[in-house]
Amino acid sequence: MSSAADAPIAAIGETPVLPEHVDSSVISEQVSVVTETEAPLGWWIYFGISLIGLGILGISVGWLFWEGIGVWGNNSPAGWAWDITNFVWWIGIGHAGTLISAILFLFRQKWRTSVNRFAEAMTIFAVICALLFPSIHVGRPWHIYYTLPLPNQMAMWPNFKSPLLWDVFAVSTYFTVSLLFWYVGLIPDLATLRDRAKSLTRKRAYGAFALGWRGSNRHWRNYERAYLILAALSTPLVLSVHSVVSFDFATSVMPGWHTTIFPPYFVAGAVFSGFAMVMTLMIIARQVYDLKDLMTMKHLENMNKIMLVTGSLVGYAYAMEFFIAWYSGNEYERYVFINRATGPYWWAYWWMVSCNVLSPQLFWFKRCRTSIPIMFVISILINIGMWFERFVIIVTSLHRDYLPSSWGYFSPTIVDIGCFVGSLGLFFTAFGLFIRWLPQIAMFEVKAIVPGAQPSHHGPHDDGPAAATLQAKEA
Amino acid sequence: MSKGMNREATGGAKVFWRSLEMKADADRAAEHAGSDVIKRTVDARELTRLNRRNFMTLSGAIGALAGLEGCIRRPAEKILPYSEAPDDVTLGNALHYATAVQRRGETVGLLVTANEGRPTKIEGNPVHPASRGATDIFTQSRILDLYDADRAQQPSKSGIPKSYADFDGVLGDAIAAALKGGGKGLRVLMTPTNSPTVQALRQKVKARFPQAGFHTYAPLNDDAERQATQLAFGQPLVVRNDFERARIVLSLDSDFMLTETGSVEATKGYARARTMNSAADEPNRLYVVEPSMSVTGSNADHRLRLKGSAIGAYLKALAAELVAQGVPVGTTIGSAISGSKAPAGVPETWIKVVAKELASHRGQSLVVAGSRQPAAVHALVFAINRALGNPGKTVSYAAAPDIAAKPCFDDIKALAADMAGGKVDTLVILGGNPVHDAPVDVGFRDAIKKVNLSIAFTDRADETADLASWHVPRAHELESWGDLVARDGRYSVQQPLIAPLFEARSDLEVLATLAGEEGGARALVQATAAARGAGDSLAFDRLVQKGVSDSGASQVLAGIAVNESAVVQGLSTLQGSGDGLEVVFLPDNKVWDGDQVNNTWLLEIPDPITRITWDNAALIGPSTAKQLGVENGDMIRVSVGGASVEIVAWVQPGQADGVVGLPLGWGRSKAGQNAVGAGFDVYPLRTTAAPHYAGGAKVEKLGSTYPISQTQEHDFMEGRPLAVDATVAEYRERPQFGQWASPDFSAGPLWQTVDYTKGLQWGMVIDLNNCTGCSACVAACQAENNIPVVGKDQVSRGREMSWMRIDRYYVGEDIDDPEVAYQPVGCQHCEEAPCENVCPVNATSHSPEGLNDIAYNRCIGTRYCMNNCPYKVRRFNFLNFNLDIPETEQMQFNPEVSIRFRGVIEKCTYCVQRIQKAKIQARREGRAVVDGEVTVACQQVCPADAISFGDINDPNTAVSKKRGVDRHYGLLSDVGTRPRTRFLGKVRNPSPEMKG
Repeated sequence: MSSAADAPIAAIGETPVLPEHVDSSVISEQVSVVTETEAPLGWWIYFGISLIGLGILGISVGWLFWEGIGVWGNNSPAGWAWDITNFVWWIGIGHAGTLISAILFLFRQKWRTSVNRFAEAMTIFAVICALLFPSIHVGRPWHIYYTLPLPNQMAMWPNFKSPLLWDVFAVSTYFTVSLLFWYVGLIPDLATLRDRAKSLTRKRAYGAFALGWRGSNRHWRNYERAYLILAALSTPLVLSVHSVVSFDFATSVMPGWHTTIFPPYFVAGAVFSGFAMVMTLMIIARQVYDLKDLMTMKHLENMNKIMLVTGSLVGYAYAMEFFIAWYSGNEYERYVFINRATGPYWWAYWWMVSCNVLSPQLFWFKRCRTSIPIMFVISILINIGMWFERFVIIVTSLHRDYLPSSWGYFSPTIVDIGCFVGSLGLFFTAFGLFIRWLPQIAMFEVKAIVPGAQPSHHGPHDDGPAAATLQAKEA
Repeated sequence: MSKGMNREATGGAKVFWRSLEMKADADRAAEHAGSDVIKRTVDARELTRLNRRNFMTLSGAIGALAGLEGCIRRPAEKILPYSEAPDDVTLGNALHYATAVQRRGETVGLLVTANEGRPTKIEGNPVHPASRGATDIFTQSRILDLYDADRAQQPSKSGIPKSYADFDGVLGDAIAAALKGGGKGLRVLMTPTNSPTVQALRQKVKARFPQAGFHTYAPLNDDAERQATQLAFGQPLVVRNDFERARIVLSLDSDFMLTETGSVEATKGYARARTMNSAADEPNRLYVVEPSMSVTGSNADHRLRLKGSAIGAYLKALAAELVAQGVPVGTTIGSAISGSKAPAGVPETWIKVVAKELASHRGQSLVVAGSRQPAAVHALVFAINRALGNPGKTVSYAAAPDIAAKPCFDDIKALAADMAGGKVDTLVILGGNPVHDAPVDVGFRDAIKKVNLSIAFTDRADETADLASWHVPRAHELESWGDLVARDGRYSVQQPLIAPLFEARSDLEVLATLAGEEGGARALVQATAAARGAGDSLAFDRLVQKGVSDSGASQVLAGIAVNESAVVQGLSTLQGSGDGLEVVFLPDNKVWDGDQVNNTWLLEIPDPITRITWDNAALIGPSTAKQLGVENGDMIRVSVGGASVEIVAWVQPGQADGVVGLPLGWGRSKAGQNAVGAGFDVYPLRTTAAPHYAGGAKVEKLGSTYPISQTQEHDFMEGRPLAVDATVAEYRERPQFGQWASPDFSAGPLWQTVDYTKGLQWGMVIDLNNCTGCSACVAACQAENNIPVVGKDQVSRGREMSWMRIDRYYVGEDIDDPEVAYQPVGCQHCEEAPCENVCPVNATSHSPEGLNDIAYNRCIGTRYCMNNCPYKVRRFNFLNFNLDIPETEQMQFNPEVSIRFRGVIEKCTYCVQRIQKAKIQARREGRAVVDGEVTVACQQVCPADAISFGDINDPNTAVSKKRGVDRHYGLLSDVGTRPRTRFLGKVRNPSPEMKG
């Protein structure tokens, strides 16, 4: 815990991730106390608003089930509209969690430790919201189980050629793995909460979920193995889920959908929007719970850099779509893109471009990258922009396709809006509960990167994060 | 409606409630009989209105959804057998009966399909001369009129329900009173009739009541033609055109393809003369002069936009040119018209070239005048046709079916004057709706109030029924005995397909009562038939079975001379055309004169030209609209003389400059819940002096707008090869012009393709060159396949359900004078169907016979197939559109086609039920299905024979031959879908000399 431990970092000119005064007890205290004391007024206001949103979801979905899809604005030619826009948007948001937890873990990005728990929770809730939409958007939701390969006496199987079926597998796999990953990562911290618990109820509740964690060497060894394996499993999923979602469009014959650029473009967009959503939530939590020591400017700046990169990637994709539409010589394809920028939905297109491509360019400047108000506004703009991106892809491609005789226009109804606002309500309600009852920062992982937790020398074998964590624990 | 009545209505067959809810509903309906309680179409505005009750319902629903199990709404059903089986009914086997209906001045022979005693579908009778197996949009929809829930169900006096005993008492007293005065004060108002029995009864009534008067009125009638024959030939005749033999057709404001008398036969003939099976064939050429874009005008090779009132002047100028080119129009006429100048703005080619074309096609040309044109124009047309040597070839004349009828407008005027003058004690109105549709200057609405006893026999509580002292339900044509002669003189018997659903009286029954005849309608018809050669009951049965008599065609008068001086005198009365705005009253392309305006199919099927549903609109050309500062959807006030109507404006390409087209028949105040609120009534502008055109009109904007629902909002092909067309010259130069525009996809898919070379492989060919856009196929598909009607609001949201639609595109640079291309589009049954790959649950897949099938039960409604269909033919049940279908209308449902629940996709199946039926029949008989055995609904109804269907694996079928025609192409073939439905490119036949 001496400052001498920082010497190698300082020597190579880097700043430490955490301030010097932060040690294990500070981390445990700052994080655990949120779940142990009365919720502040701010939380109650936040939670009340979220609950209203959830109620709106209940009413909207109930009405939808009672009357049918006709209460939405969907029509022919726009068979999909806000429903699938919302689905893809939420799925995209759900990407940051696994990316931060798995890929950054494998790349040993230590700064991830302060944000990964948060991001993983967000992933889980976002994927729940995402799963909601394909389930309710079908005409006969009570038969949705037909999409599962259940043995039946008719020997009827789902259609394995359909990208929607791939979605079913991809998203449910992603959800399962993300949930496991999140839960496994929570176990040591749940044990911490159990140990700190003063009431029997808390002890029992956290105790049950902590699965008898005692922090023994064996426990840690098994934990690290499991976490590494899950990280390795999740990593391809980060890339595959949104690729599969993009196949919904890419494998169709619709101009504006039938594009090979979609998988990487969708993944970049997903990471982009996921980071933006993490950023929005983190800035709020950081202010409300005063977690500036654990979520430092360095964290935020790193995330802003990632947003700048992914934002530029999607900008490149937008440009490339136009180029290919022109280069292909396909008149339908050309028309769709001209129509995107200048047709009846021009405003959606330009919202998308302004939010997703132009606004992150501010992050080239360090002043903007490190300004809380600017990054907060930009993160929200990116979320709006990414919603419009999906709307543009889905609705503007569909509304004017091959036969001009069938061209139409989609306008949302109050129930469309209700379902979207309601899904936000569901998300924020779940998130509120998470913040209130679970450690929102991975305490034990952060402890592993406090100064002095690292081995002070490097022997012939690099023991990796497991060793580092052990050291932290001993400290 | 009580259960008992229902049983009676179906001829003794029981009708079973499908659930208790349905029974409860029906009982409620009985309580409010005649009032507007049954919600017909789902209105989404209503759905989204959340009042307290809805909220409670919804909360309950949400609660119930928590335990999702068992929330599936499956109606409880009971299936009960007949306790005593009728002799000729085998459950599940449809029966077909021949009958006939009158449409305008022509009789159309029909074959009506009945399932377990319920008529469900109307087809044309192939042996009937005016049908030849086809029908039109109006006749197709009549089946729904039969089951209209708004039909009157019992007699009423001033709106108060009464029994038939009450009514018969009143009628008996009136007859007794009239008998004393020799029928003085007794008047009967009827619609024009082709029925010999009605005419015979009319004579008998007149014999019984010598002082009684009969009057005839219909707002759309063939009086001009009739008066013209009187003028030119000295006797009332009908004109029979043979379009099949005409190479050059000049139509003067005649919409002979849809709204004129005999349109089915005319279209049949026209299409045959148009058909091109190779580039070597010579198609006919159609010139149309008209004020407002009609279906016929949209098919013209050359179309001249001209005010209706200027067409007479145009014809005179043309006749003068014909004389100059040596066509013997006649010396008297020739000298009278010499030097006639064409109206301003008519290009010289329209005189010179048209005259040259007609003159060079003597005996092979045909000039027709529309019913809106005055008698003098018709008379001059007779003279021109005669001079061209056409009579006996492309045109002939025959005795009128009802010689005694007087001109409608004069007749109703005389009647109304008598009524107003107190000369009428008892008025019997048999059909029609004169209070609503008589010209305003007649004052029928006020006059009827002066009549002591007025009895309206109409099928619904309409405007006339409202003002008449008594209203008695009139039976539908499919419910009653009757007879009709076709214009060629051949005789048909109308037989009832079903006992009257409600206690209604047929025309014959009413007239028989007045005539004091006993024995019923059937005996009366049988007596008429006997007089026409079907004497014994066997011959009568044969006649009924066949639907039309073999003999009895009236004598064709071909060489009849034209009274030239009378024609000249008639021409001298022609009035010129003014400079200002002129309104033209149009028969509506769907609801006709308003007779069928409560028919939801017709309301929802888009107008063939405007694509507007559920409304009519004032049709104004783009330039004129610009001058008036009027845009689509603006409310305007149209004033003519002292009268004015408020109506929505619609910018319609192809209108003559300065013309406002006003479709009749809409804006009803009392016609049923579907009709009320749909469209705008323009009858208030119509007078006997100007029933067709009225000059000096004024248009002012009201400043408000009105929402219009269209099924097609974009009018242009955007340069895409969709409805591909070429001129004859281009066709000859490049016979494969279809493939040049829309080449078939040459690369195969990446996967193993299905072997489609074995067994039956169904395919369709649509010849765009024959299609006139009349939309009969759309109505036929609706009737055959139980397609729900969704209402104006849902149409505006893009949720119409039609499986067959006709895309209408404007072609050309001049938006004031575009060419039109029609393209009927149903499911293309792609061999590499994009919809099939994307369905996650395998609900839609290919049959071994090449059909793209849907299993509704498997469909979960992801709508992915609908998105991925390049043709956008897949329809989604966004709401439960079949929820509140009145019980009577449910009787129309085709039992061989499933009713679709909300949340599933549906689309054209190539009438798979008809295919299966034919296959089962063939298998029972141990043979293969033969060509022509399967006809799909759209193909069967098409008067232009534009649609071929059959097995494409057999090279000898009609469809295979059509597929071999060089101008074939597949719609959007370059997507790689390999559509089974192929199109034959449209061929336009412009005259090379008309340019410049």
